[in-house]
Amino acid sequence: MSRFIIPKHLEVPLGACLPAPVKEQPGMITGNWRTERPVIDHEACTTCLNCFIYCPDACWHLDEKTEQMVWNADYCKGCMICVNECPANCLSTVNELEFPDGVVRLEKPF
Amino acid sequence: MAIEVKTQNLEMVKSLRQVPQEEHYVPGHRTCQGCGPALVYKLVSKATGGNAIFLGPTGCMYVANTSYLCAPFAYPWMHTQITNGGAVASGIEAAYQVLIRKGKYKGELPSIVVMAGDGGSIDIGLQAMSSMMYRGHDALFVMYDNESYANTGIQVSPATPYGANTTFTPPGKNVPEGRVLFPKDAPQLVIGGHPAVHYVATASVAYPVDLINKVRKGLNYKGPSFVHLHAPCPKGWLFPAQKTIEVAKLAIQTGMWVNYTWENGEYTYDHTPKEYKPVKEYMKGQYRFNHLSDAHYAKMQAFIDARLKAPGKPIAIPVLGPREQ
Amino acid sequence: MAKEVFYSGCAAAAYGAKDARVEVISSYPIRPYTGIMMELSKLVANGELDAEFVLGEGEHAQVSIAYGASAAGARAYTGSSGVGVVYAMECYSPAAGGRLPCQMAIADRALDPPGDFGSEHTDVMSARDQGWIMGWAESPQEVYDNTIMYYRIGEDHRVQLPQFCCQDGYFVSHIPGKMQMEDQKAVDDFLPPYNPPHPLNPKKPINHGPQIFPDQGSAINVQRAVAFDDIEAVISEVVTDYNKAFGRKYSPFVDEYMMDDADIAFFIQGGHARTARYAVNHLRKKGVKAGVSRLRFMRPFPTEAVAASLSKVKAVGVIETNTSYGGVTRGGNIAPEARAACYNLDNRPIITSFMAGLGGEIVTLNEFYAMAKVLSDAVKSGKANNSYWMNFEKEVLDTHK
Ligand SMILES: Cc1ncc(C[n+]2csc(CCOP(=O)(O)OP(=O)(O)O)c2C)c(N)n1
Ligand code: SF4
Ligand code: SF4
Ligand code: SF4
Repeated sequence: MSRFIIPKHLEVPLGACLPAPVKEQPGMITGNWRTERPVIDHEACTTCLNCFIYCPDACWHLDEKTEQMVWNADYCKGCMICVNECPANCLSTVNELEFPDGVVRLEKPF
Repeated sequence: MAIEVKTQNLEMVKSLRQVPQEEHYVPGHRTCQGCGPALVYKLVSKATGGNAIFLGPTGCMYVANTSYLCAPFAYPWMHTQITNGGAVASGIEAAYQVLIRKGKYKGELPSIVVMAGDGGSIDIGLQAMSSMMYRGHDALFVMYDNESYANTGIQVSPATPYGANTTFTPPGKNVPEGRVLFPKDAPQLVIGGHPAVHYVATASVAYPVDLINKVRKGLNYKGPSFVHLHAPCPKGWLFPAQKTIEVAKLAIQTGMWVNYTWENGEYTYDHTPKEYKPVKEYMKGQYRFNHLSDAHYAKMQAFIDARLKAPGKPIAIPVLGPREQ
Repeated sequence: MAKEVFYSGCAAAAYGAKDARVEVISSYPIRPYTGIMMELSKLVANGELDAEFVLGEGEHAQVSIAYGASAAGARAYTGSSGVGVVYAMECYSPAAGGRLPCQMAIADRALDPPGDFGSEHTDVMSARDQGWIMGWAESPQEVYDNTIMYYRIGEDHRVQLPQFCCQDGYFVSHIPGKMQMEDQKAVDDFLPPYNPPHPLNPKKPINHGPQIFPDQGSAINVQRAVAFDDIEAVISEVVTDYNKAFGRKYSPFVDEYMMDDADIAFFIQGGHARTARYAVNHLRKKGVKAGVSRLRFMRPFPTEAVAASLSKVKAVGVIETNTSYGGVTRGGNIAPEARAACYNLDNRPIITSFMAGLGGEIVTLNEFYAMAKVLSDAVKSGKANNSYWMNFEKEVLDTHK
């Protein structure tokens, strides 16, 4: 019998080896960093894919069915690289408070 | 009977449309807004197609990526010390060679990639990097260059440009330019001195298709390759986060960065502007150079002009060392 | 077929590694351990051993290559001596904390300055708290046996830790002795292939070693503490199985010689134990009831076994062969551990450090006699100094004469 009692919240997998994430890492939500968000005008978008390729946080993807760009609100940090690099000028910077679900405070520090 | 070790053959992409939408470096990491190295990570990960093993030496791309028992890597990834990325990769590659040969692992040799910062590549990590290249392991060494020891709070590294204000090279009365030395030439450290290396390339986050293809070319070689990737760091260079790509492009337009390939002794250059802009234009946009005087800009321009005569080649640079001045 | 051979400790280690079917080997030259790699490089070159022989650019890289290979799922082997062992210091904790059970052969060598070829245990003793298994062999036979046993101990999923498989430089590494090499099939039966719990494999991807919350740091430490709690049972199992399979007589932790009726004991690890036993034979003839208690594992330190053994006597002289400048006994590192192990005993023996076998000096019979004198006096007077530097203090001066 081991003398050690390891509380649930302190459990760490052996050697700190975790299963790799699939598609996203929900342990590190970064959408709440934003003070502004990029808003797309689908009409004007040429699906040039600049936003897709340049976003460091992989928050723009092309939906193959609709042929429209899809934005990931959970992780977008609001760096505005996409806005800066959009050749069609169809992305605009809008204050988070403009949105009913806008990020107004940090619920968790990270 | 030994089983033959088969390697992957990754296809070149011609346009953004051909770049897979699938992400292997997934969203959910703590890198700064607009982080150039994070974008490098995303692009290199895409280039591998996911059948890969990544090694992350200590640095921003370890610490900011993997905070608090979560990490954004959809492929096998392991932390290494800042000192030993090349050595751990060598051990993994050697292990896969035996495991495949003995039939204990079935499948093609995964792409083995070290993602090291400039410190982890050409300063404290230089020995391990050079030895991995020298021994001929079938692995790719990526030096993502944010031109500083960023993770520890933006200290000078051998990749830091002349004149930069870093937390170890603050400008002051006696040292008005801050950073006094000119940077080490990373690709040249690899080119030539490592007989097993056939492929060394530089690329920039500003030209992602080129970057992906260079990574793939490097990976396709049955041996070690080195890619040096320009990755602007908004926090360390002190420019607004949305300008990461703009800054990277300006680096190329001013000759501060040159995209080229060295393949089996032949150099080819990419994205060369018709006419170079003055480097001052590049430096003016970054607060790390804000303290410089025209004399300093001129000194930087002279260095760039000399280097642009033959980028990536060993030519004399008319720069006086600190003891010669 | 098992066969009798006449091998040095270096050759014994190399053949132990071969019979353990190591898959990745990383080398770098430094005397005296070099012989191990010279032998293995031949075996690989001749095709007698199917392994990758990676030429490390230094010991730091050697250990990194070895634990990298282990992370990928291969059985990995490396080694070093002296300054090389401490040059790799950064890499020991990641290997142990990452739970990567590679093995590092150590043939001890004194540290600089100045350059000294001699054997001394200070090199790897400096790494004793990095979470590696660590113990000394006293003969080529034990080197061979330990090499095989350590892999089974380290790779056991209850343990999952790297191992320093140590031998004294020169005294063991370079003096050939008669030994038995076992049949490959029997070794294979004893030591199954490495079955890593979490290899770096694209078909089942893991992220190995992300940052943690500060309070989880202690949880990672506790994992290793748990392993070191469980390990003694594993060692006992493995040693018992090995004894059974190959007819050896190892006790798992402490090998005793004439301890049962002894008044004084030499507590020692490694090759000098052989001289100690001869000294005991001669001392017994003179009526001195001396015994030898030989430590087989430094990590885990076998607290109970040591207490049980040392409690049999009234005074214990620890032959340190390592230094701890400014340490509690102003001597070496073993006496403090031996003392701590005996602390809870009702009748604690007197325990002192004998600083002998430093810088490659042999520990002579005369030195053992001088130590026995100090210990016998201590039994009478009930006290002894914390440490004695052999040949440099009045109680133990000029033992060479
Ligand atoms: C041996 C050692 N020395 C120092 C450090 C502290 N350290 C942690 S991250 C880091 C900076 C890494 O810089 P670089 O490799 O350029 O990557 P970046 O952080 O810029 O992405 C340093 C020096 C360390 N982790 N290990
Ligand atoms: S960058 Fe602009 S035009 Fe191009 S895909 Fe994105 S939103 Fe559309
Ligand atoms: S604002 Fe930045 S993080 Fe958000 S989608 Fe645009 S590029 Fe990505
Ligand atoms: S400091 Fe620079 S390199 Fe580090 S995470 Fe921030 S932007 Fe990226």
